[in-house]
Amino acid sequence: MKEDFANIVRPLLPNVDYCSIRFVSRYSNIINATRNVVEPVFISEDEGVMVTVYNDGGCGYGATSNTSKSGIKSAIESAIEWADFTKNRLTYYPKISGIKKQSGSYFTSEDEQWSKISMKDKADYLLEVNKALKSKSSISNWGAGIRYNSIESQFIDTIDSNIRQKLSYILPQMVVSAEYKKEIQTRTYGGHAHARQAGYDFIDTIKMHDRARILAEEAVALSKAENCDDKIIDVVIAPDQMILQIHESIGHPLELDRILGDERNYAGSSFVKPEMFGNYKYGSECLNVTFDPSVTSELASCNFDDDGTQAQREYLIKDGILQRPIGGLFSSQRAEMDHVACSRSCNWNRPPIDRMGNINLEPGQTNFSDMISSIEDGIYLETNNSWSIDDKRNKFQFGCEKGTLIKNGELKSIVKNVNYRGITESFWNNLTTVGDKSTFEILGTSNCGKGEPNQTIFVGHATPTCHFKSIDVFGGV
Amino acid sequence: MQEYFKKISDLLFNALEKSEILILNFDAEETDFIRFNKSKVRQAGKVNQVNIDINLISMKKTLRSSLRLSTDFKKDKVLIIRTLFFLRREVNELPKDPYLMYEKNQNHSELIENKGINSFDITMRILDISSSNDMVGILSSGKIIKGFANSFGQFNWHESDSFNFDWSLYDKNGKAIKQNYADQKWNQETFARLYEDSTQQLSVIGKQEQSIEPGAFRVYLSPSALNEIIDMMSWGGFSYKANKIGSSPLHLMAKGEKSFDDSVTFSEDLSNGISPRFHSDGFIKPENTELISKGKYEKSLISPRSALEYSVTHNAAEDYESPVSIKLNCGEIDNSKILSKLDTGIYLNNLWYLNFSDRNNARITGLTRFGCFYVKNGEFVGPINTMRFDETMYNIFGEKLVGLTNKQQLLMDTSTYEERSIHSSTIPGAIVEDFKLTL
Repeated sequence: MKEDFANIVRPLLPNVDYCSIRFVSRYSNIINATRNVVEPVFISEDEGVMVTVYNDGGCGYGATSNTSKSGIKSAIESAIEWADFTKNRLTYYPKISGIKKQSGSYFTSEDEQWSKISMKDKADYLLEVNKALKSKSSISNWGAGIRYNSIESQFIDTIDSNIRQKLSYILPQMVVSAEYKKEIQTRTYGGHAHARQAGYDFIDTIKMHDRARILAEEAVALSKAENCDDKIIDVVIAPDQMILQIHESIGHPLELDRILGDERNYAGSSFVKPEMFGNYKYGSECLNVTFDPSVTSELASCNFDDDGTQAQREYLIKDGILQRPIGGLFSSQRAEMDHVACSRSCNWNRPPIDRMGNINLEPGQTNFSDMISSIEDGIYLETNNSWSIDDKRNKFQFGCEKGTLIKNGELKSIVKNVNYRGITESFWNNLTTVGDKSTFEILGTSNCGKGEPNQTIFVGHATPTCHFKSIDVFGGV
Repeated sequence: MQEYFKKISDLLFNALEKSEILILNFDAEETDFIRFNKSKVRQAGKVNQVNIDINLISMKKTLRSSLRLSTDFKKDKVLIIRTLFFLRREVNELPKDPYLMYEKNQNHSELIENKGINSFDITMRILDISSSNDMVGILSSGKIIKGFANSFGQFNWHESDSFNFDWSLYDKNGKAIKQNYADQKWNQETFARLYEDSTQQLSVIGKQEQSIEPGAFRVYLSPSALNEIIDMMSWGGFSYKANKIGSSPLHLMAKGEKSFDDSVTFSEDLSNGISPRFHSDGFIKPENTELISKGKYEKSLISPRSALEYSVTHNAAEDYESPVSIKLNCGEIDNSKILSKLDTGIYLNNLWYLNFSDRNNARITGLTRFGCFYVKNGEFVGPINTMRFDETMYNIFGEKLVGLTNKQQLLMDTSTYEERSIHSSTIPGAIVEDFKLTL
């Protein structure tokens, strides 16, 4: 980040109703070791600016990887050109007076900086994890990797806002597959769930070697396990599957730009209507969901969104009742509803849109042991491996890597190819028990896709283990 | 831009030490993105981005860095020389790469097609024609450049202007029709005809909704719907490595234990020139690779890395080993008689959000979306409610396949994650029996 960015850019700001300039610098490093070989290491350095102009009923943006003064000037010209063209042709023109001046910063705490550990040490570590994964002869595929991303941004505008943020996150990954009589089963760690804002110290805490041995044993056992039966049954869902359930059937349907129709050509709309906020019974009384940017180390924690709105914790669903949408300042102006700081962009080259930040299911009072012992006939589901939901976020089907049968209050044998399906509008009302803090995990996914042009962004979800009754569960062919 | 890439390449190649090899991949685009909602502009702007991937090879070790460039040579020069020094220092710390392979022969190529596209003019035409409808969609328009150079002297360049307008028309009940127009030069007559087609379909979708219960149905899968299923098949199905490690949904077919109907022939066909034929390590891809021939698994896409790992010959596939320009051969169903051939069943224009229910057995799930109708005695009755399907690829392309249509459609990938995609598919439609709807 250039220390003098604000000083260079401020004199360039055009005389328009409102203009913001967002500078983004991203660093990414991916190291993978697969089947005992270190794959080509990937490093990426990226920087650019996005200029957004609102003027006289029109809006446009210009984005460029040319961060020199002439490059930024050219981006401003593009933004003005599109703002002129779209005058009186926009779906919505915001109330500029609603934009508030903001100043502040946010930096991820990295106890052990990524750059302080040599590439060789990281590669050697992953090779050791590979050895732990390939612990059985029937293991047909194995690999481990670590991805580090650092995203630094500075936001300034024509009302003297100045915001600096640097978010760094780490995503560890492991995969192991076992084959038995041409049946191949896979266990993973990381991937869709275990990303955290942290330094390399996070890798020390998760003990990949130990997890690798367990994953390998589970993959072998699953390859020999029975298929899951088709039946209506109680399910207990672990946090690494709960986050997909929250993401797809609470997070996405509450995004206000979907409700307003922006996503109808791509990611879809929502079964949720504006008139449902404040009264709709989304789930049982033990369902409490927050937009919470303040959780330490959760993936989307921050102090401001990419339109410069200050972030704070808000309830989206309280005691089962729908409270407010996931809508940024401009969307909430369109819908005349309350906002959260969720206007986010994946990079300098895409405009901010309504996105999930940290969407968390708040813990309840029941520990894991009591939850299991309360179930006569059920199944415990772990680790998502398949996800599909309709364009209004209602009819869903999810698959899990591992199922463990629950009989008379005890965990019994494992089953493979576990899927379950349901309808959002009824599913959350079947939430019976919410796990306590001892079952609560801070997780997150790095690859939420949405928007036209398309954007992939990282999203945090923290959740306890949860128990649902009467769910339609089924197995493979 | 070509001269700029050459200037940077020369700078890097001149800074190399004797034992070093350098491979460069260059990507640039200058794109106007105009997003529409309710037949007005939701967001509009221009994105200029330039990127170079630098792969330094030394003593059978390799390290890659991807850099965003400003095209300000003074600024970029500092960045790329600093990066070269960093790569040189770090590459020695890494182990030798046993699967490292790169082209040493020189295969030059150049394709430049600049036909000029005026995004403002196109946007005006879109706004004019759609003013009385509820239209939502995206226009992506401008130049895409791909370049390659290596220190052996090879140079490749692929530069073209193109646009992709992808839109939906909604009726007052929330039912929608989806359409797409993509090309290198805007033709107002073609666009007006496509738009008129979609407004005519709106009148059909405005009929009374037909409530479908779960069960098995005779269905027509349009090229777009079938392409979604083929996309899932491409999650490892055509990958040599995925078949070896067991993550391919077609691994049983690759082992000769399963097959498709004799009428099914898939190939990776780069003859349309939409994707460049040069590989990121300099190899030249064959124009046509037959993947499934008359229902039998013929050949996988094999990257140079897989070739070394499994001691086979590669066919210049990228490391991800999935098709970029897949073609499914036509069948015999007369495209003009689809409704009468379907007789009674469901006409599926689009499928959405597919994933696996049982990857080992190529079983997939997904949902109906955009323009799906119930058909009775060869006549459209009305749109259906959103339904989930759950079916195996072996049924769809095998024993439950009634036939493929005799006309293919070229489908341009609309993906714009990070950059505009230059992938495409050439696909006919299909009629399938006993297609299972579950929810």
